[in-house]
Amino acid sequence: MPDLLDESVDVSVEGIFNWILLLTIFSIITVVGNYVGYKHPIYDSLVGMGILSLITLVGVWLERKLPLNISSIIYISIIGIILAFPGVPTSETVLHYVSKVELLSIVTVFLAYVGIGIGKSWDEFKALGWKAIIVTILVIASTYLGSALVAHIVLVLTGVPI
Amino acid sequence: MLMHVGREWVQIPDKPNHIYREKTDKRILKKNPWKDYRLHFTVLILVIIAELIGPIKIPLSESVQVSIMPLLYSMVLGLVFYLAKPITWIQRKQARVAEGAMMLFIGILIAKLAVSSGQSMHLIFEMGPALLLQELGHLATLLIALPVALLLGFKREAIGMTNSIGREPEVAVVVDKYGFNSPESRGIFALFIIGTMIGTVFISFLASLSTSLLPLHPYAFAMASGVGSASMNAAALGPTLAAFPALETNIEAFAGFSNLLSFSIGIYIVIFIALPLTEKLYYILEPKIGRSSGDKKDDSDEEITGGK
Repeated sequence: MPDLLDESVDVSVEGIFNWILLLTIFSIITVVGNYVGYKHPIYDSLVGMGILSLITLVGVWLERKLPLNISSIIYISIIGIILAFPGVPTSETVLHYVSKVELLSIVTVFLAYVGIGIGKSWDEFKALGWKAIIVTILVIASTYLGSALVAHIVLVLTGVPI
Repeated sequence: MLMHVGREWVQIPDKPNHIYREKTDKRILKKNPWKDYRLHFTVLILVIIAELIGPIKIPLSESVQVSIMPLLYSMVLGLVFYLAKPITWIQRKQARVAEGAMMLFIGILIAKLAVSSGQSMHLIFEMGPALLLQELGHLATLLIALPVALLLGFKREAIGMTNSIGREPEVAVVVDKYGFNSPESRGIFALFIIGTMIGTVFISFLASLSTSLLPLHPYAFAMASGVGSASMNAAALGPTLAAFPALETNIEAFAGFSNLLSFSIGIYIVIFIALPLTEKLYYILEPKIGRSSGDKKDDSDEEITGGK
């Protein structure tokens, strides 16, 4: 299957325009939620969301522009880490504004879209039997607890204080 | 790549790295998703409702409590809005737009976690061993879930269902290894769909219970919340942050980094360790505890689609 974006026409002004508009909508909703839920000042969290949107935009753009087969998640993570790294000139400004946007405010908006998005899998979900549901619950629980247990043991062995 | 599940064709990623890109591009670049203003307005209303209700703490006993976070209300309300008949402006088309938009919005979530990680980078280097080794803790799933799946009568589907938590990258690995119409792929696909529907809600309750019941290090819970998808990570983080409010930035940092590791190296753990181990264990356990092969459900299409 040919890559949708390997032809340069696809990374068009229109495409980027779509991303920017979507990120703007998402930012506005998040800022409203952030204000209702946590009473953070609207101006600061708007700037914070602007910074996060910019990082995202550069990340998704790099994924499509660079010839490497690397997911945008990696680019976004690297950019975010560098911008906030203690001692980097941008670090204080970025931290000040981004810390005004609660992670949970972002997640609440994100999961509203997820809820609507998974709606279309509802019929498939209903068609699966209860046995498969039991196995899924066990898989998630044991993965989570296995990870927590190993992490705990290693943390204690390496003497990490709480 | 399309796959037939139940009555519908479902998009399955060709290669792990392209999942987000293809979905996002198809839905975002070809259409103009921002035009669907009723969808976004609905989300705004859902978010305001969710934030106004705020977190609810349900005490189960003196020391144990389950917290339900606004993020759960907004997700469940979103699903209810999609399913509710009177709400005619949220339909399949909007769900597709929401799904595409979601792929872009993951970026914001990742960026926020990355900023927390950057701030706490020195700590992440210090915790390197724990962060890396907890990835191996994921293997607990095949020790616990595989025997149960066999006892319940699953055959080779069990290999697909229990080797990992079954998010997009792992689905791609299993489909790639066993082929499209194999029982293993059917298994992981069932896991993927159920995980998508209930995984987020379930892991949030699990994290809430675990943080109040288990005397583990707060950072261990933070790292464990990164085991699954971005939404699962977020849902598990909610109660963890509520349980240890003083450690907010560090918990966000570890959770974000652990989720990043699950995405990047988790897939190699599945390819080189989890899948071979699951197969080995399957061949050891199946003759002992698997349902007898004279069972009519042997070729278990029926098993998976559950007596329809």
